[in-house]
Amino acid sequence: MRVLIVEDNPDLVSLLIKGLAHGGFAADSVATVEDARHVLATMKYAAIVLDLGLPDEDGLVLLREMRRRSDATPVLVLTARDGVTDRVTGLREGADDYLAKPFAMEELVARLQALLRRPGNLLGRMLTFGNVSLDTEGRQVFVDGKPRAFPARETAVLELLLRRGGNVAPKRLFEDHLFGLSGDVGSNAVEVYVHRLRKMLADAGASVKIHTVRGVGYLMSEEKG
Amino acid sequence: MTRFQSIITRIVVLHVVAIAATSILMPLALYWLLNQAANNLHRDALRSEAFIIGSFLRPQSDGSLSMDMPKEIRPLYSSDYGLYSYAVLDTDGHVLFSSQPDGKALFVSDESALNDWFIRRRSSGSELFGVTVARPVGEKMYYIQVGQDLAHRDVIIDDVVTSFLPHVAWITFPILLLLLLIDILIFRRALEPVREASKTAAAIGPRRTDVRLPEQTMPTEIQPLVHAVNLALERLEGGFRAQRDFTADMAHELRTPLAIVRARVDTLEPGPVRDALRADLVNMTRTVNQVLDIAELEAFIVATDAKADLHAVCADAVAFMAPLAVELSKTIALTGDSSPVWVRGQAEALFRAVRNLIENAIRHTPTGTSIEVEVTKEGIVRVMDDGPGVPAGDRESIFRRFWRRDREKPEGRGLGLAIVARVAEAHDGSVAVANRPEGGAVFTLKLRPA
Repeated sequence: MRVLIVEDNPDLVSLLIKGLAHGGFAADSVATVEDARHVLATMKYAAIVLDLGLPDEDGLVLLREMRRRSDATPVLVLTARDGVTDRVTGLREGADDYLAKPFAMEELVARLQALLRRPGNLLGRMLTFGNVSLDTEGRQVFVDGKPRAFPARETAVLELLLRRGGNVAPKRLFEDHLFGLSGDVGSNAVEVYVHRLRKMLADAGASVKIHTVRGVGYLMSEEKG
Repeated sequence: MTRFQSIITRIVVLHVVAIAATSILMPLALYWLLNQAANNLHRDALRSEAFIIGSFLRPQSDGSLSMDMPKEIRPLYSSDYGLYSYAVLDTDGHVLFSSQPDGKALFVSDESALNDWFIRRRSSGSELFGVTVARPVGEKMYYIQVGQDLAHRDVIIDDVVTSFLPHVAWITFPILLLLLLIDILIFRRALEPVREASKTAAAIGPRRTDVRLPEQTMPTEIQPLVHAVNLALERLEGGFRAQRDFTADMAHELRTPLAIVRARVDTLEPGPVRDALRADLVNMTRTVNQVLDIAELEAFIVATDAKADLHAVCADAVAFMAPLAVELSKTIALTGDSSPVWVRGQAEALFRAVRNLIENAIRHTPTGTSIEVEVTKEGIVRVMDDGPGVPAGDRESIFRRFWRRDREKPEGRGLGLAIVARVAEAHDGSVAVANRPEGGAVFTLKLRPA
């Protein structure tokens, strides 16, 4: 899996290449928008890690050019700019994700993997959090490496939580995902499935716990110790 | 000059004064000129009358004078008709002939009055207008006086003059008024570019400093002013750009080295040193981010038409902070109405304000407590916690930058609440803290409904 890093700071570039290699990515790097144009004209990358503050032009210019010629390569924008007005602009221009400097290398790798896992991108069928894994194609749940038989809807709930990593998955997302077609959603229907999933995970000895953020959604955390 | 700010008003006022003066002076001047012309005409007519009378005079051999007036002319000078009268005098002032029944001269005559005209008030009250003409007959000079009774019904020339004034006044005034209206229209038209420029200038704000006033369409007199304003705008924009660039550069200069340090630390072998460094970096990053936020918010202006769904903003902020809350064994919930609450404001700035309120609640409450974020239809966010609350004396100072209750203790509130206060201020809203009756603090952020 080859990614292109567009970043002008040489120290950061070498650390990024090392970090990404650790996460299973091979990376090339260029320091300017102009060089990126040349490279992209001949090479096809799985994803692009794009810094915005480049010496010749704004990284967003490159992003806009790519999107205009319908180049759908996932772009993870990496920037020191995280101002009140910046985040919105970056994502509106067609960035797939946005990571503000400084960032944890694991976070960058996880985000890149998430981008490549999106529909149309084939990367790993396995979602993992703590000692819980899900084979997204075989619909098989593993806890501590052992396969577990979870009902379809509980598995769907688990998948959404796994896809969000340790972040909140909005309640709305569960409703759409679980009952999108049947339409009728009881006010606490999602809560019922989450409750059942909690019990199943606990019984299976999972190291993860599902927390309710009332009024917003659910998130998973890894229990320490 | 504060009395008349409007150019149009000044023009109108000065014009009205001018009209008042003109409508008095112009008819008077015209009346005087007309009167003068009428008098000249009158005098010339009477003088030729005097010449005709002069032609009837015949010198006699004894040196006396005889007058031979044709019969058909005599009624003209008869006192019955009363229009004309005449008298012929010798150089000593003796009356030789007169149409007057009393045989007197029409006017007291002397040399200096020759060829000039007179007006004499008669005993009957009417006015006699007349001329004296010197005529040589034979070897002697004689004065011929001819007069006309102005009060006579056949004299119309001075009636014309007298009736002229009121008529002219009635026409002059409306014409001058019309001129005033036309002038106002002309000036409004001439000032139209200025009005347009004012509209353009109204759009200028900290977020729209690229606007320039049109110079080509301006009247030449106003162009220097407009040009100067444009130059001032240029400098102003430069100032704003420098401020924005500085904030952006500062962000880059601070965050890139932090990113490098963070990436280096991530390459270290797992262990307590790496964990400690990561924790230090997280704190450092937090402070840097807050400093940058404050710097950006210093020059932050909310666009007048900006609208944000406060409920969505709070849901985002709660979701964003939930992992930290969970990590610190705290529960967090969003309550209140779940339908959109539209307020005037910029979503990202509001997000940062609510996020900082939640972060403050998470960091200043004991483990195991809960945080509740409530949004109301009126555009109010309440962030409630189960912590120790805020002492009454600290409720104002807590929003100051880098405020800490005890200088000796390392624990400080940092910039989080100062950011909240600045966002509230930029949105024309407010933020305040109180203690809940059941214990704990409640931070109330009020915004303006859209």
